[in-house]
Amino acid sequence: MTHDPFTVLGLEPRFDVDLAAAEVRHRELSRALHPDRYQGKPAAERRMALERAIEVNAAWRALRDPVTRAEALLAAGGVELDERAEPKASPALLMEMMELQEELAEVRGKRDAAGLRRLGEALRTRERELCARLAPAFAAARGDAARLRALLPAVGELRYLRRFFEAYAAAEEELAA
Amino acid sequence: MGLLEIFDPVAAPRPIGIDLGTTNSLVARVRDGAPVAIRDCDGEALVPSAVYYDERGQVIVGREALRMAQAHPRETIVSVKRLMGRGASDPETARLGTIDFAAPTSPDEARTVRLRVQGRILTPVEVSADILRRLRELAEDEMRSVGGAVITVPAYFDDAQRQATKDAGRLAGLEVLRLLNEPTAAALAYGLDQKKNGLFAVYDLGGGTFDITILLLDDGVFQVRSTGGDSALGGDDMDRALGQVLLEHMGAADDPGPEVVRLALDAARRAKHALTDREEVALELPRVGGGSTTATVTRAELERLVAPIVERTGVACRRALRDAGIEASALDGVLLVGGATRVPFVRRYVRDLFGREPLADIDPDQVVALGAAIQADLLAGTGSTGEVLLLDVLPLSLGIETMGGVAEKILPRNTTIPAGARQVFTTYADQQTGFELHVVQGERELAADCRSLARFTLRGIPPMPAGMARLEITFHVDADGLLTVKAREVTTGIEQEVLVKPSYGLSDEEVERMLLDAIDHGEEDFERRKLAERRVEAERMLIATRGALAADADLLDASEQKAVEGALAELTVAVAAGSATLVQAKIDALDDATKEWAGRRMDRAIARAIAGKQLDEVDATVAHARGVDEQVAEHQARLPPGASPSQTGTGPTGEGS
Repeated sequence: MTHDPFTVLGLEPRFDVDLAAAEVRHRELSRALHPDRYQGKPAAERRMALERAIEVNAAWRALRDPVTRAEALLAAGGVELDERAEPKASPALLMEMMELQEELAEVRGKRDAAGLRRLGEALRTRERELCARLAPAFAAARGDAARLRALLPAVGELRYLRRFFEAYAAAEEELAA
Repeated sequence: MGLLEIFDPVAAPRPIGIDLGTTNSLVARVRDGAPVAIRDCDGEALVPSAVYYDERGQVIVGREALRMAQAHPRETIVSVKRLMGRGASDPETARLGTIDFAAPTSPDEARTVRLRVQGRILTPVEVSADILRRLRELAEDEMRSVGGAVITVPAYFDDAQRQATKDAGRLAGLEVLRLLNEPTAAALAYGLDQKKNGLFAVYDLGGGTFDITILLLDDGVFQVRSTGGDSALGGDDMDRALGQVLLEHMGAADDPGPEVVRLALDAARRAKHALTDREEVALELPRVGGGSTTATVTRAELERLVAPIVERTGVACRRALRDAGIEASALDGVLLVGGATRVPFVRRYVRDLFGREPLADIDPDQVVALGAAIQADLLAGTGSTGEVLLLDVLPLSLGIETMGGVAEKILPRNTTIPAGARQVFTTYADQQTGFELHVVQGERELAADCRSLARFTLRGIPPMPAGMARLEITFHVDADGLLTVKAREVTTGIEQEVLVKPSYGLSDEEVERMLLDAIDHGEEDFERRKLAERRVEAERMLIATRGALAADADLLDASEQKAVEGALAELTVAVAAGSATLVQAKIDALDDATKEWAGRRMDRAIARAIAGKQLDEVDATVAHARGVDEQVAEHQARLPPGASPSQTGTGPTGEGS
């Protein structure tokens, strides 16, 4: 989206944004902008409200996810987001991810629901720890592009975790069916 | 002294809510601040969704049509909702039933199911329009003037099914204010009635569709957290399962005629109803070749037959809980909606699944229409229900087919709507001027396994070396859950022409032709209607603009204000004259003159909302019918005529933004 989600929701740009406050803000803005409020209004106004409502929903969606939240902060600081140009993941991280993939394939094969849950819990803990490290780092960067760029490896790690979460969700779905 | 009720001959149009169901339909409205179902002269609120077509072209809808079903199984269409938005070769057409399906004679015709009735070919959209027309008449009998409708759809309906429903509304002469998801409608009626707050699941098993929705009710805000379901699963399937068994009793299991099938399905439904509070039921059935037989069906047997059907709902329920990020124990209540939830086995199943007794203190047949009436009332600005806001979601992920046939998700399921996404693509051949996009809906990895929505052909890309052109495609899903696509070449800023070829549904010309056919006096009448509707839109703009001038004139500089007032005066004059084209031209001019100002006013509204203040209601207007040609324009934007594939079309190479 063109506008950064913090600006759209009128919130201070920080990685550890108060998500409860953001939700309240999303709701207040939805009350003002939802297409339901513009029924019977001239077409131009309806179109405009629709675009704004879409932007507000997109902003709220972006803030809820740590990856897109981090990307928004990087973009706001002038860091160009191009995964291919970013530093490669460390061998240690790649090794860890490969091990996790193997573990996932194993519990999936055995249809081991408890094992899958444990894996999911471990992943969430891992993500929480990473986020806890990133929050002060983003604050310390104060929007400076060079200092933000130094956070790219950690954000890359977050992305790896996210992809792994997707594979995990697919496995969860498969086991539930 | 008693007061006489004065009947206003020019009553203001009032909005209605419609539950267009698989088995039964229902129309409701808000009266004295409370939603009520509209009843026919016999005091019946439920209108069976059955349509009988006689040989003289007469159409009978409802109970009377249902009575014709036995003698005229081919001419009486039931459960047409299951065919909405489906293609000619959809598996739904192969199920046990009595409809005579017409084979498509061209690939274009294959985009919708076609039914052969009394020598005519009908589409599900037309049959649904006949049901809606009957409901509109019922409402008009009571309210004189109907001013727009909210029509409910299963939450799990995809884009094609939604569009088909909207087309049916248009064909029935209704201004469709909104398509509302059935579980959300039910929650609205229930939540407002009981003044409940908390996290609720709505389990909606109707005649032909199943929905599960998890939503948060919080002081007038109804926020859907997740939704799931199956748009081809319901009470009909129970009837079919039992009907198949009854056919065996009748000695007609192999290739039964439509009369025999109708009889078996009706007997099955009656047995299912009877077994709600009985353990056993005896059915007197004719045998093929003469004589009759008595078939005894026990509740246990019915339950054995319906168990696999009901268990399919469990998968969707567990996924919806997971998508909402909650455990069943976090719920504050489970609402039962839809006639099929009367089956005791279903109630037991829901109780076991969610670990709590479901709430059934609402009439599962009426609650959806009542919710639709509340929403219609809110949208029409006549709302007497206070500050209510519905935040619904996209039920199925939207994706684009990329290289290798993989569906790349651009908007995941359960995204709050309205929603939008942008993707940037590039050309891969030198001088490439065209581009093709295949949009699909569904959760599967391969595009071929998802539901094809449309193929978009882009043309007029400035010739450039490969990889130079940057095509930005914008996807918008509106509050009805309907998709529109726009494309722009980024380096030149040129808006691209997008030709849309929907994979399913009616073309715009077909809807147009049907609309014209439906208007008895043809062209002249159509023109007059167009003018009347342009005038309504003009009046609405005049009221809104004057209201805005009273409230926010300070956001205009002197010359801007002069321009707005000038355009306002010209439109006022044009309304008095007799040309739809002129009125439209002046509407466009006023639109232009107020565009930037509207943006500033919106910023002000946002600032106020952030400050926790209520939105200014100064320019509250009574909504009137929206113009036909505006709706036509909207439809055209979705399905422009003459769609044809691009000569230089290529598969997109995705590049997320």
